[in-house]
Amino acid sequence: MTHKNPIILLVEDNADDVELTRRAFEKANLLNELVVARNGQEALDYLFASGAHAGRDPDDLPHLVLLDLKLPLVDGFEVLRRIRCDNKTKRLPVVILTSSREDRDILDSYDYGANSYLRKPVDFAAFADAARQLGLYWLVLNEPAPRLRGSSRD
Amino acid sequence: MNGTVLIVDDSLTVRMDLAEAFEAAGFRPLLCATGREARDALGREPIALVMLDVVLPDADGVELLKEIRAKAQTSDVPILMLSTEAEVADRIRGLRTGADDYVGKPYDPVYVVARGRDLVRQHGGALPEEGTTVLVIDDSTTFRERLRAALEQTGYTAIVAPDGQEGLRLAATRRPNAIIVDGVMPGIDGSTVIRRIRLDAALRRLPCVLLTGSDDLGAEVRALDSGADAFVRKEADMQVILARLAAALRSAPTQRDEAAGIAGPTRVLAVDDSVTYLHEIAAVLRADGYDVVLAPSGEEAIDMLAVQPIDCILLDLLMPGLGGKETCRRIKALPTARDIPLIMLTALEDQAAMIEGLGTGADDYISKSSEFDVLRARVRAQIRRKHFEDENRRIREQLLRRELEAAEARAARELAETRAALVEELESKNRELEAFSYSVSHDLRAPLRSIDGFSQALLEDCAERLDDKGQSYLRRVRAAAQKMGELIDALLQLSRAGRAELRRERVDISAIARAIAIELQSSAPTRLAMFEIADQLFADADPRLVRIVLDNLLGNAWKFASTTGKAVIQFGATHVDGTPAYFVRDNGVGFSMAYVGKLFTPFQRLHSEAEFPGTGIGLATVRRIVERHGGRAWADSSVGSGATFFWTLPVSKPGSRS
Repeated sequence: MTHKNPIILLVEDNADDVELTRRAFEKANLLNELVVARNGQEALDYLFASGAHAGRDPDDLPHLVLLDLKLPLVDGFEVLRRIRCDNKTKRLPVVILTSSREDRDILDSYDYGANSYLRKPVDFAAFADAARQLGLYWLVLNEPAPRLRGSSRD
Repeated sequence: MNGTVLIVDDSLTVRMDLAEAFEAAGFRPLLCATGREARDALGREPIALVMLDVVLPDADGVELLKEIRAKAQTSDVPILMLSTEAEVADRIRGLRTGADDYVGKPYDPVYVVARGRDLVRQHGGALPEEGTTVLVIDDSTTFRERLRAALEQTGYTAIVAPDGQEGLRLAATRRPNAIIVDGVMPGIDGSTVIRRIRLDAALRRLPCVLLTGSDDLGAEVRALDSGADAFVRKEADMQVILARLAAALRSAPTQRDEAAGIAGPTRVLAVDDSVTYLHEIAAVLRADGYDVVLAPSGEEAIDMLAVQPIDCILLDLLMPGLGGKETCRRIKALPTARDIPLIMLTALEDQAAMIEGLGTGADDYISKSSEFDVLRARVRAQIRRKHFEDENRRIREQLLRRELEAAEARAARELAETRAALVEELESKNRELEAFSYSVSHDLRAPLRSIDGFSQALLEDCAERLDDKGQSYLRRVRAAAQKMGELIDALLQLSRAGRAELRRERVDISAIARAIAIELQSSAPTRLAMFEIADQLFADADPRLVRIVLDNLLGNAWKFASTTGKAVIQFGATHVDGTPAYFVRDNGVGFSMAYVGKLFTPFQRLHSEAEFPGTGIGLATVRRIVERHGGRAWADSSVGSGATFFWTLPVSKPGSRS
């Protein structure tokens, strides 16, 4: 595994939100590569090197997944479920990043194995601050599971 | 089983006679000659039935009756009183004091036992086991006795009658389980006996077997025509008759007609000032199986009708005192007595008197000089008419009741269906609302994020190309977007307060209030404010909703006391009308009570946005939460001297806990 800047996979269908998230990370000086998936299926293709991403190295996984819940085609819960079901991806940190504050969504997210749940604030300053703290915690402070090539034989 | 009958009578003959009759019916007689003995016996053991004479050597029977009724353990025991017919006043007194029935002397022991059994059954008492009784009606002594022997050998109790008249009397008084009647008899023949039985409400379900001659080809048709359940040729083997009887008994309703017990025996009230004539009539009618009640005057007759159910009245036209016409008029004016057939009696063969008598409401008219047979026939006809009417009324009432029940059932079903439809509609509306709230929370906020975020981006990235005015406009755009975000959040909270499931538990309200106070203070560390929070206040409530209530009320207090030099914000509890009420009090700007009605309504604000920013939804949310807990919220204030908000959280009733 190369030691280039860890990749963040942002699963988000709203172009404005993608742009604002990118901007928030930049302002927080998190210069990671931000891979964007526009829907759940695209996210799964990227993670499991299938479909449009068939040629990709399946062991080259992102370090953090930022996942919206309301997505076209395959929704966020289904993406999360598939991530947790596969030995290769089951330990990936997944942070739910969404507009909803419904109890049901929060409970379901944790039940499906989300590591964290964040509600996108309207106030951009607040969002930028949240993105900064998020990146600092998950990409710097947090000790991720060791990566073993070929995976799942640990 | 306790089948003890207490027989209280001073006459040894009566005691022995009744004892024998009751013993034969399976009861255990207990004999007392005096009131004192009766009292002892009643205190000593449970009694199923009391036979009580009105005249006792040491006591008045009615007084003893009063005593028995007054004692808890004997207040419900059936009591049958005995007395000579002449003492009408005694009879009225006895029935008024609580006797269940009254039998005049001379009595028929068989009838007394049958009446006693009825009373015990009506009072829910257990009856001595009684075999199946079969009544045989045949004019041939030889055949009668042969059949009796065969029946008794098979295990039946047999009673016999030599003719139709006696047979009908025994059917009424002894209540057999089945009847075997000969088709050909002098007087009333078999078909007629069965037809009469079928007309009697109390006897109509009695299985009847008709015996017919050998070569009578129309016998079967006639037998079925009369209502017989079976017919057998008389020459047939005894075994065939017994088999037919068994089949008829099997297919008969197992339960005796309940109306029989309630209707009791057929009772005739005879009213005449001549005691001699009364006794003559009584003897004739008793022979026909009626129970006869006598009254020597119209006044006593009316008194009697108030306490004693009667099926037919014989009323003398010429009597001292009230007189026949006036008595008849009064009887026909009594709601409970006006349907009883009334036959007027008179010594006069007078057309005018007859018309006058019928004019007062009498149902029939007989001359006293007529043969008793005529009287008997008229009485029978009137009683049959009354039975028909009673029966019709009973059927009509039954039909009406059934119709009513059906209508009620239909209404209940419709109500249930309507309710189910409403509940379903409500649930569907709720689901719709939930989906709506969800998309509001999710989708309306996304554009606001773009407006705010890109406005900020413009301010940062293109600052040099924007003058102060342009930058100020952009800041206003951002402020508006954020305000709208807050409004959406407040609306969602209001909607959630209304629909979220109520999860009651013991909540430490003081702790929640303290936590909120700390948050508020730390949001403006330099602001001078004092929180006074009462300790140890608990409630049975949903902790998350209580938190929203206190967030809003303490947040308001904090906001509206911000212009005061030193804010003092209190949380505590008091008692209002006997129930605990919590309150949040501040020393802020307050409001005029003239507008208090608007306070808890969504989007109603008493201050301008510039003075005190807010959504106008917080207090509506507070009220909705408090009301969902079964409590109420109200406020007290005046301009410039702070405000106090009260609310109650009643303890949930057991079972309403979700």
